[in-house]
Amino acid sequence: MKKIINDFTINVATANGTGSQSANLILLQSLFDMGVPVSGKNLFPSNISGLPTWYIIRLSEHGYQAPGNQTDVQVLVNPATWEEDLAALEPGAVVVWNENSKLEMSRDDVISYPIPMTKIARGINPKLAKLITNIVYVGALAEILGIKQSALESAVKKQFKGKDSAIELNTNALELGREYFRENLAKNDPYFVEEREIEEKQFFIEGNEAVALGCLFGGAQLLSWYPITPSSSLAESMIAWIPKIRTNDDGESNCAVIQAEDELAAAGMVLGAGWAGGRGMTATSGPGISLMQEFIGLAYFAEIPSVFWDVCRVGPSTGLPTRTQQSDITLLYEGSHGDTQHIVLFPGTVEECFEFGWRAFDLTERFQTPVFGMSDLDLGMNRWACSGFEYPNEDMDRGKVVRDRDIFEAFEEFGRYLDVDGDGIPYRTLPGSGMAPILYRGTGHNPMGVYSEKPHDYLQLMKRLRDKIDSSRDVLPAPILREENECEIGIIYLGSMENTIQEIDDLLESTGLKVSQCRLRALPAHSEIEKFIERHKTTIVLEINRDGQLYGILRKEIPIELVPKLRSVAYSDGMPPRGKIYADLILEILQEVEK
Amino acid sequence: MSEKRERKERKIKLNVINEPKDSYSGGKSSLCPGCGHDQISSVIISAAWENGVEPHKIAKMSGIGCSSKTPAYYLGQSHGFNTVHGRMPSVTTGAYAVNKDLLYIGVSGDGDSASIGIGQLIHAIRRNMDMVYIVENNGVYGLTKGQYSATADIGSKKKKGAINKTQPIDLCALAINLGCTFVARSFSGSKKQLKSLLKAAMSHKGFALIDVISPCVTFNNNDESMKSYGYVKDNEVTLHMTDYIPHFNPISEVEVPDGHFKDITLHDGSTIRLETISEEHDPTNAMQALEALHDAETNAKHVTGLLYFDNTKASLVEDLGLVDLPLIDVVEDELRPNKDMLEKINNAFLN
Repeated sequence: MKKIINDFTINVATANGTGSQSANLILLQSLFDMGVPVSGKNLFPSNISGLPTWYIIRLSEHGYQAPGNQTDVQVLVNPATWEEDLAALEPGAVVVWNENSKLEMSRDDVISYPIPMTKIARGINPKLAKLITNIVYVGALAEILGIKQSALESAVKKQFKGKDSAIELNTNALELGREYFRENLAKNDPYFVEEREIEEKQFFIEGNEAVALGCLFGGAQLLSWYPITPSSSLAESMIAWIPKIRTNDDGESNCAVIQAEDELAAAGMVLGAGWAGGRGMTATSGPGISLMQEFIGLAYFAEIPSVFWDVCRVGPSTGLPTRTQQSDITLLYEGSHGDTQHIVLFPGTVEECFEFGWRAFDLTERFQTPVFGMSDLDLGMNRWACSGFEYPNEDMDRGKVVRDRDIFEAFEEFGRYLDVDGDGIPYRTLPGSGMAPILYRGTGHNPMGVYSEKPHDYLQLMKRLRDKIDSSRDVLPAPILREENECEIGIIYLGSMENTIQEIDDLLESTGLKVSQCRLRALPAHSEIEKFIERHKTTIVLEINRDGQLYGILRKEIPIELVPKLRSVAYSDGMPPRGKIYADLILEILQEVEK
Repeated sequence: MSEKRERKERKIKLNVINEPKDSYSGGKSSLCPGCGHDQISSVIISAAWENGVEPHKIAKMSGIGCSSKTPAYYLGQSHGFNTVHGRMPSVTTGAYAVNKDLLYIGVSGDGDSASIGIGQLIHAIRRNMDMVYIVENNGVYGLTKGQYSATADIGSKKKKGAINKTQPIDLCALAINLGCTFVARSFSGSKKQLKSLLKAAMSHKGFALIDVISPCVTFNNNDESMKSYGYVKDNEVTLHMTDYIPHFNPISEVEVPDGHFKDITLHDGSTIRLETISEEHDPTNAMQALEALHDAETNAKHVTGLLYFDNTKASLVEDLGLVDLPLIDVVEDELRPNKDMLEKINNAFLN
């Protein structure tokens, strides 16, 4: 049997609320610490306890981070999905299963490793058996695959930081899981883990925590939020970090946190902070953005700095709250009624989550308009390898705020919405300053900020607002291009698709097709995007949704003669993107183009 | 020269911070002539001037509706925000979080506060958000031409349409039940009472609700309306005479009234003096306040005065645990942790 080393997918089927998340994170961390390129995806239900949950760990020497196309090693603990999980396996897959679950092994074409997980766990501590069961399978897997004991032990210590009794209990359970396999079963599968030299030390972090840190390094002064999956951990991370990095020795912080009564109020508070001259932000998901629409329009029209982070989940409506999708692109870009257009940032890596976290505040104050960050459940709630965050390389941009009376006096005429510099960005004074006080409003206004329904005033205002947002294009993060020479096919993609694109690219290349990659990182689109489309015979817009939202936006904005070059590949079933599905769809579309 | 003559010769009267009353005025009102809201605006101007608040240190907040247009008509030297319908409390809360040094005066209507925005009102009360919240309450939606609002009294009839049969929401009773720390009701026609209540509200730290019955002369001022000038004048039950003694006036020099009175000291050292009319009302007793409201409702009356007061609760700013300086004045170097801090974080993650 040919050995398969560091290149397979493990799927662990458990029930929610049984402590399996800690066990799976220990497994993931120990592989990571051995230098094995690895990624983990938590597929959890919208439920606290009892419903099925899966954890997918992909080991890949190529560094592929998407879930694999098939499961190679299945751990079966949850009786509820037993048959379903077994039925999905290819012949020859490994099944590590709980012998005490009263269910049978119904397949004879798989490699079966029965382990009495519950019995072993009961032997350690009958009261905690349910929790310990999960650690037992980690021990058994370690023995089967060859995971180093030292890596496991350090991962356990990391997971249960400082809780000595938990560390002892779990280490013991790991050892018993190992021992059972060693003494009662024999390995007859091809899957092995091998240690790799670590070239660059990295750590695991969730996108949400990276955004949270970025926002705090961006000088956030108000976080107002309403709990919603999958963004809650972004706000909770900020709350956890504020005492460490934004609080003085007397325990007083310079970032206020208010848990709002709903998303409308959360957005209202963000606007209030921006109006008063502070850096306000909220974190939410699609349903929250839907509720915030009215305030988003007000922020756009009255030109109030405000930052909104949207960690996308599957819509429409309540949708699949614990699954991932890129389906709020249009909602964010064209949010609220009337003609609007907003700046949207799309981080694709945890490093960018951090960077765009602080950058969003500079952009919102510079352009005096709402700025959105769009991440998704996959990037936000799963752990990704990170080499460390880079300190902001620019001073804070507070925009055109007149704070000194001398400067104020130098203005020939001061109007809140007067385009003094011809760049569409007016000057503002702050409440409490006594300079040029006005009543901000969501109604039509003239350059002086006075109520107006005059056609000329309205037209001028709407034109200036459009030009202002338009002028941000090349100030926003530029696309990341990975171009092959003289390639005919280009792929434009965004956000968390970054973690699957290389696998898609390799799959396409294996059929003889070479493609160029272009990762869009912000809207309105950078001028490089148009040039990229121009350079290629056909450009595919690849995204994780049904309707091709980014494709729709680009189609509307690129010169009409380029439109026929653009094609859409949009697909979403709620799962993190799997390379093969998208590669096949791309090939299909290209065949159509050939015709 | 007598003091009287001297004052006469000084053409412009100044307040305690040497500002003329003009510094507190606003633009010309576009509301219907005779609207109760305009009277309230003039009381806001007088109260702020007499209290000697720096005009630019006030923030005028409002939602949407006739009432919410009024910030354009007073305090022209203050920044303001005419926000969206029913959401003024959240915008105010966000502004307050980053600049707690302003005096936030919110003006809202009964549609804004008792219907679309009731949730935000409730939660601002719950947080004891530090602001003055005036409801200009006329029982109808004016800007959309006279539909009943949620505060229309049972049995009341507006100019056009049927008698209202739906139970009204009493915002004062609601606020008392929520533990609001300053709850008053007044009438736009009782300017003296309204002014002293408003001045007291400005001196209060925490959420101060003043529900002001403010007749809509266009849609709801007919005799069958229980929120008409005529009806309120005939059916107002005044809890007490109210008098406000600012902190900069030595209270020892203020004339002491005959009969019973109760002095309540406010957070900035000012006093509100409640002179008993018939029965003494204890504004620190929530049950008594609710009883007064209940009796008035049963008898189709409007009870006015300081219904409830509680100075023992912490306001929002204490809960937020912030630095002394308003956050907008904190320098960028402090808002952004330094490079070493990020190094430390990176290293802690790596090890």
